Amino acid sequence: MSSSIGTECTDLKQKYDTCFNKWYSEKFLKGDTTPECEDLFKDYKACVMVALKEKQIDTLLADARKESPFPPPSSSSNSEA
Amino acid sequence: MVKFFQHTFAYDHPWENVSYAFWLRYPNPFASHVLCADVIDRSINDDGVLTTTRLVLKQGKLPKWFPQQFVKNSEAYVIEESLVDPKTMRMVTRTRNLNHVRIMQVEETQTITPHPVNPDMTTVKTEARIISKFGWGMAQRIEMFGESNFSKNTAKARQGMKHILQMIREKRLRERMGFMQPQTA
Repeated sequence: MSSSIGTECTDLKQKYDTCFNKWYSEKFLKGDTTPECEDLFKDYKACVMVALKEKQIDTLLADARKESPFPPPSSSSNSEA
Repeated sequence: MVKFFQHTFAYDHPWENVSYAFWLRYPNPFASHVLCADVIDRSINDDGVLTTTRLVLKQGKLPKWFPQQFVKNSEAYVIEESLVDPKTMRMVTRTRNLNHVRIMQVEETQTITPHPVNPDMTTVKTEARIISKFGWGMAQRIEMFGESNFSKNTAKARQGMKHILQMIREKRLRERMGFMQPQTA
């Protein structure tokens, strides 16, 4: 598994990745699209956001995300997996 | 000037495995330039489509003729946005670099679908746009460098994917063997 941009986040990332990979291959691809691993993602993401701010790439990333290639999900659907 | 690149390739693996390999592909022996990769956002919409944004940090490579004083470091941040629809078996990914964009911006879109004839194979269509806004009369030379580098990198990325796909195939095979053992014993 690849490491995180924040060295202190790599542990959280690997825990989340392990959960996601299992869910993706065993459930999602088989048609069960109920999100899982959300708590692990929350912790991991919080850690990464701090690291991005420290490295001062948070605004660069935010600007880039304004021109997303894919339209945002329809109104009532922004549950994080 | 802008350079366009288009290419279609087929993997000898089913769509599920190729789509899975996309998430597992770092690290692999052919991607030593990838320093780290993070999921920034991930959501599923009402139609069951998974949307993901990842940030990947890569060690870039500058050509020898490029004036080094213009670049403090050659690490490149790459944003990778993707969507996966398991119902229609379609995965689309778009990547582009976030920094060094004046020197060169590379935007790549990959569409991953089952092979139209053979369902055990997967088609990957790659489209890329390479553009340099660099002055000093160098934009065209940079774009040409970008173009030749891009095709080299695409080949390397494919080797990396094949490596991961082989690992997935072996794992599945082992699981099946393990599952069958009690019956054959």
